[in-house]
Amino acid sequence: MKKDVVVRFVGSAGDGLVSLGTLFGRILKKHNLNVLGFRSYQSVIRGGYNTYQIRASQDEVLSVGEEADIIVLLNKHVAKLHKPAVNKGAKIIYDSEVIDLDEFEYPSDIVKLEIPLASITKEISKLKILKNIVGFGAIIQILGLDETLTKEVIFEQFGRKGEEVVFTNYEALEKGEKFAQENNWPIVWEKHKYEKAQQMLISGNEALALGMISAGLKFYSGYPMTPATSIVHYLTKHLPKLGMIVKQTEDELAAVGMAIGAAYTGARSATGTSGGGFSLMTELIGMAGIEEIPLVVINSQRAGPSTGMATKTAQADLFQVYGASQGEFPKVIIAPCSPEESFLVGIEAIEIAEKYQVVVIILMDLYLSEQIATIKDLELKRKNTRFGIESNPKSKFVRYKITKNGVSPRTIPGTLNGMHFTGSSERNEEGTSLASTLAGLPDTLPIREAMVEKRMRKLDFVLKELPEPEFFGPANAEITFVTWGSTKNIVKEAILELKSDGIEANHLHLKYLNPFHTERVTNLLEKTSKTICVEQNFTGQMSDYLRMKTGISVDAYLRRWDGEPITTTQVVEKAKEVIGNE
Amino acid sequence: MSDGFNFTIKDYEGSFKPTWCPGCGNFSQWRAIRQALIELELPPEEVVAVSGIGCSSHMPNFLNVYGLQTVHGRGIPVATGIRLANPHLTVLVYGGDGDVYGIGGNHFLHACRRNVDIITVVSNNFVYGLTTGQASATTPVGTITRTTPRGSIENPLNPITVAISAGATFVARAFSGDLKHLSYVIKEAIDHRGFAFVDVFSPCITFNKNQTFNYFRERVYKLEDADHDKEDYFAALDLSNQRFIKDKLPIGIFYQIEHKTTYEERDFSLNQGIIPAQADLELTDEQIDAITKEFY
Repeated sequence: MKKDVVVRFVGSAGDGLVSLGTLFGRILKKHNLNVLGFRSYQSVIRGGYNTYQIRASQDEVLSVGEEADIIVLLNKHVAKLHKPAVNKGAKIIYDSEVIDLDEFEYPSDIVKLEIPLASITKEISKLKILKNIVGFGAIIQILGLDETLTKEVIFEQFGRKGEEVVFTNYEALEKGEKFAQENNWPIVWEKHKYEKAQQMLISGNEALALGMISAGLKFYSGYPMTPATSIVHYLTKHLPKLGMIVKQTEDELAAVGMAIGAAYTGARSATGTSGGGFSLMTELIGMAGIEEIPLVVINSQRAGPSTGMATKTAQADLFQVYGASQGEFPKVIIAPCSPEESFLVGIEAIEIAEKYQVVVIILMDLYLSEQIATIKDLELKRKNTRFGIESNPKSKFVRYKITKNGVSPRTIPGTLNGMHFTGSSERNEEGTSLASTLAGLPDTLPIREAMVEKRMRKLDFVLKELPEPEFFGPANAEITFVTWGSTKNIVKEAILELKSDGIEANHLHLKYLNPFHTERVTNLLEKTSKTICVEQNFTGQMSDYLRMKTGISVDAYLRRWDGEPITTTQVVEKAKEVIGNE
Repeated sequence: MSDGFNFTIKDYEGSFKPTWCPGCGNFSQWRAIRQALIELELPPEEVVAVSGIGCSSHMPNFLNVYGLQTVHGRGIPVATGIRLANPHLTVLVYGGDGDVYGIGGNHFLHACRRNVDIITVVSNNFVYGLTTGQASATTPVGTITRTTPRGSIENPLNPITVAISAGATFVARAFSGDLKHLSYVIKEAIDHRGFAFVDVFSPCITFNKNQTFNYFRERVYKLEDADHDKEDYFAALDLSNQRFIKDKLPIGIFYQIEHKTTYEERDFSLNQGIIPAQADLELTDEQIDAITKEFY
């Protein structure tokens, strides 16, 4: 039996592709399989050409895969458009009453699986939407999945709509199974016994939100922007149970402004957007920096510049966030690689922000934010002790006291004797602005120097807390891959493939981008033979960043900027090309 | 004044003295704000003064309350975040016409319709003072400034009309040359339930030779002395446009309604008395089940 299976649904916006993909993902998840799903779509509400690809395996799933075992075509329009993307041997399922594949001259090396979905559905109910469940029935039949487990998922999905709806769906499922069986559809996976699983199926954004909640997030503000919006959706849905504030604002200036206001007042706060909204937030991010207000900002990158390609992925905002806002202030940048890691980074970001009174930027991307993946276990229960909040100051409070690690105790409004002034201008320890009358006076020069040093010093202490970059594989491999963020697992998969071809590669993955483990990374890169930096942009931002931080230039690049995630095949081919060039 | 509240005007004074030009209209607002806080018996630790950038935005520097100066135009959203994180605080936004009506105009509109219980006081001097005299959103047509040497060709914004139209529940105007009335209006604004807005005619004695103290003294009259029903929406709108009709400038409360629910009263969490800034940060098992159920 082949280890994994790739199923691709192809439809238009309005076909319910997301619910279809998620529901199918949940069926696979229920079978204790590892699942990864990703939708490729356009910025239209109705029509267009979208795909939802899901891969399932008993092993770890590192990418959504390339060639599909099963392709489900949902309408005639997409049937025509999808032809060039069809791979050899694919089993193509489609409604024979809607689509005539011969009309589009599909290649002969595919397997056509026709099913009269509309007629079968009509036998059960007037509800046309049931045809999707009939289709699922046929798919679980050829995948050898368990009918009872599948019905459990259907029950979870439709149970609240009443018994009749549930039974109608069961019937639709059975009809689909029976049709595939009676028409001798080819089996992809042999039937076998599955253990029922207790695992989550969750998107990158949802996992990130869950992490922040677990760390005590009490305030989130945002303005809708793909691909960050689903964070607001998830939080808004659950705010009644959480006793938190989720605020949709008039623009991203207000989104970051409100998050800063709430953070200053003592609520653990975050805001999120994509590159365009981040541009608007930039000035206030600098303000949070100089005012030393704990703030978490999420930038889920998409293909830019400007509106760019709103529904396509990219890793091209590294320098935007690194350089965000004028002047110099401590800024922590973390790029998670998977939904599971997004959860952990959510916790870490909230804690670092409060502990060091700094801005923490979480650099996601569309591919990571929107992928759904199975996760075995997340620990949400946390004590969440507060950091650095003085609740009982005795006399006139000195807010910006110079300390060894640069972190000064703070008071939050409402605290007796805690009053102080916080300004966006440079200040002395008491908080009095140097800008108005004191700037440049001989006495104030050392104050300015000390204040800048105090703030920047925090990064040295943050760095000591951060785990060193991960390095996988044998030290003396002929190839070294360097990745950051969401491309990690794709490269991991490629390395396994290369190994089976007899090529050894190792892998340096960068998660903490600022502060940077310069010494460790320099040591590693000095010893590698051929280094390939893999990233989703045109100019090679991480290559440049590495050179800036370590003085080392990587030997080769794999860059993709067309908006789709880099594929395992691209990585493998790049490695072979680089070795061949030697 | 009740027993136990013995704060004086000095207690609200910051250790750093105002840096405005001698004779600046902002001085009387500095006094009026403190006077209003005392009369309302609001102790300094329960007050947050938030501002943007500009001469007037220096205000929180000079007050002994929690003071937060933001960047240009962003006082309102930051103040909104403060108030939503802890609705027990009195949150006062202070800024100029450039700050609130110009660069921060969008936030002003949305604060009016949102009705979060914060107070916005705008020191309106019809000019950019801190950048040494350029036209602002309220500069009248024909005014010569350093950026309009041939006279301003843009129509000015009427902040009172805008605020009423945008849904503010307390809309008032005051004059820096009348401290007593100014203190009264600011006190009423702070006391109001919902978003309160006060536009203050506050002459810039250095860069504005047109809208001077004398200019206003000759034109202002108090609505409290006139027969004005402040709950009458259309009368308020009508009055707000009076300057264009009779060259008479009403000051006082144009519009105030108390029956509209505030944002805090409508918000699911705040309505239940939750204070996000002080909430328990540990999730209960029930909460964890509720928020993760959909993923299983």
